Amino acid sequence: MLERIFIFLFLPSVLAAQLCKPDAPEGFKVRLSIKTALQDEAYEWDGNERFLFQATLAFAMGRHTGQEFNVSNILVCDETPRVSFWFVVTSPDDPSQLINRGKVEAAVRMSRNRINSAFLLSDETLEFVGILPTLAAPVEPASPPWLIVFGVVMGLVGAGIVFLLVSTVLQKRRKKNQEGDEGDDDEEARVKTAENGCRSDGIYNTSFSEDEPNTQM
Amino acid sequence: MLVLEGVPLFYLELAIGQKMRLGSIGAWTAISPYLGGLGLASVVTSLYLCLYYNIINAWSFWYLFHSFQSVLPWAACPLNANRTGPSEECERATPTQYFFYRETLNISPSIEENGGIHTGQALCFLLAWVITYLFIVRGVKSTGKVVYFTATFPYVVLFIYLIRGFTLHGAINGIKYMFTPKMEELANPTTWINAATQIFFSLGLGFGSLIAFASYNQYHNNFERQAIIVSLINSGTSIFSSVVTFAIYGFKATVNYENCLERTRILLLNTFSLSEDSITIDNVFERIVELNTTHPEQFAELNGKLEDCNLESELSTAVEGTGLAFIVYSEAIKNMPLSQLWSVLYFIMLLMLGMGSMLGNITAIITPLRDFKVLSCISTEVFNGIVCFICLLLGLGFTTTSGNYWFTMFNDYGATFSLLFIVLIEVITVSYIYGIKRFERDIEDMLGHRPNWYWKIMWAGVSPLLLIGLFLFYIINYIQGGTPTYQAWNKDLGKSEQIEYPLFGQAFIGLLLASSVSCVPLTALYVFCQRRKHAQRHMQQHTVNTVAA
Repeated sequence: MLERIFIFLFLPSVLAAQLCKPDAPEGFKVRLSIKTALQDEAYEWDGNERFLFQATLAFAMGRHTGQEFNVSNILVCDETPRVSFWFVVTSPDDPSQLINRGKVEAAVRMSRNRINSAFLLSDETLEFVGILPTLAAPVEPASPPWLIVFGVVMGLVGAGIVFLLVSTVLQKRRKKNQEGDEGDDDEEARVKTAENGCRSDGIYNTSFSEDEPNTQM
Repeated sequence: MLVLEGVPLFYLELAIGQKMRLGSIGAWTAISPYLGGLGLASVVTSLYLCLYYNIINAWSFWYLFHSFQSVLPWAACPLNANRTGPSEECERATPTQYFFYRETLNISPSIEENGGIHTGQALCFLLAWVITYLFIVRGVKSTGKVVYFTATFPYVVLFIYLIRGFTLHGAINGIKYMFTPKMEELANPTTWINAATQIFFSLGLGFGSLIAFASYNQYHNNFERQAIIVSLINSGTSIFSSVVTFAIYGFKATVNYENCLERTRILLLNTFSLSEDSITIDNVFERIVELNTTHPEQFAELNGKLEDCNLESELSTAVEGTGLAFIVYSEAIKNMPLSQLWSVLYFIMLLMLGMGSMLGNITAIITPLRDFKVLSCISTEVFNGIVCFICLLLGLGFTTTSGNYWFTMFNDYGATFSLLFIVLIEVITVSYIYGIKRFERDIEDMLGHRPNWYWKIMWAGVSPLLLIGLFLFYIINYIQGGTPTYQAWNKDLGKSEQIEYPLFGQAFIGLLLASSVSCVPLTALYVFCQRRKHAQRHMQQHTVNTVAA
């Protein structure tokens, strides 16, 4: 009689020990980096924190499946000083049955944010090994910002070129009008065309080019 | 290098330009008609430079425009398709490399594979050429005013960066690294070839741009003083900017090293499940040794994943050329607080410098071309516009997906060899064919005094010998090096790897090298044939005259 009472008393913990172990098939390893995240304001990992973890997991499972989970359905084991441990989730209807790994993963993914904030941690510092976080979508503005800046600069440069070209044309026209007023001065015209670099007039003087390519040293 | 090669050659080119008052083709033809090819070679080299240099400005624009975001795009990896983590390519490489190779260039795996034009790049390239045109539209008059700004602003930025650099964590490592001479490198002749080429590039020797600019000078301008001052300032600036660069470099290396240590620490903590404050960054290495002795089997499992964190190797990851400016520096900038401001400043400085160089290159092409009668009748604005437009069209090839490989090819082979050759022929020509005495008299005519014995020894003796030595070394190196290779970006590995150039690539390299160098002998041959024809005709005329008389 006494043995049976003992067996009944220890059965759940024995069962728990068997269900939750490192590398359990339906279990997940969790790793917390409290000191890295919080430095001076880091809290110690103790029984209360573990209880909070179980409670948040139960909340996550309940939220995902719709069933009501209890803190005792979340089994935690193999805690290390790193603050890492394994956990498995048992079904509320039958404590010896483990919840499928996929369901647990989906539940954690759905409530990841809430779990993180319960511990004041983030996706990097509260790791569920094997569950990849869904990263926030990058903010995509309607038009890429670089095009806006590009447009501004291009517009300014284009305006500058147009301004310079127009002013050149106006200057030339003004000079031509002045020339027309002063009358055609042959020398002046030749000087002007030489300034523009167009040596279309004048005969190429060949006397210096033919005989001696180099003057004797 | 500066004293033996830079200043004397700088002086020489300025003297030629100021005396002849023509661009490089005209100037060398005036010295000896057989050497018109030298000027032509300069123009061809400058043309290649014009084509590929503006793509750097396009990249600077791209980075500059992308700095106006709350998070710099090269600071973090973009996410992959199902948003579970960063994209794989970015994961294997670093975010800055990913941004450069994938988003800026969209680079293809090798030079043979060609994709389309990257529109963003093409737009920035167009902008770069439009701005170049804006600066040269009025000819040298407008260029002169622009350079006041483009030359002084980089100093301001460099000074700001100097202050910022010295206050950065770990900068002192970089400075120490810079000032410890490495004897093995100094004994390697390749280092000296690179130093010589750097001096030529930095001072602009051999491109014809100095001759072009000097030809606009007044006849009696004191260019001797200017040559010395400019060369000294140039080298002083190089040293100043390398101090700044190494300070930033030291910061980047230290940050990477500390990140590596942090990753190692986390790895150790996770593997051995130790409490977090048992390993700190400072005692990572001791703990590694400890854990190796106490838990050897577990440690053996780590073997593949444990990184080797070494500050020296971080400092030695020498990335040169465009990689330094865009990858290494942007990595350093993203770690600074207020990174957008530093990024904008830095890329504006790069743009000023790049635009300044482009002005010199374009002027080196335009001035000789305008000396030809045929082309001088077109107005300055239209002519400059046509040149810019042609270069723009040809340069669009560098904005394709394999464009960076072509760019590297031009960068490595387009200028170095031809510069050495051109400068060597220049010095020998002026010293021996034109004659040192005649050159002296020209300078006396312009300046009022003869150049002293130092210059004459340099021009006639030391510089040619040194240049011949460098030239031979370069050729021997090239022949011994086997097939030329290039760095191709492998997206699966996330790093660059050496690949040999395919046959058409090697043929193109040969074409690049030969095209500028062969101008000299070909032109000499052409002039020789022309003279013979003239001489024959002259003979006939003489006989006719004597008969008539």
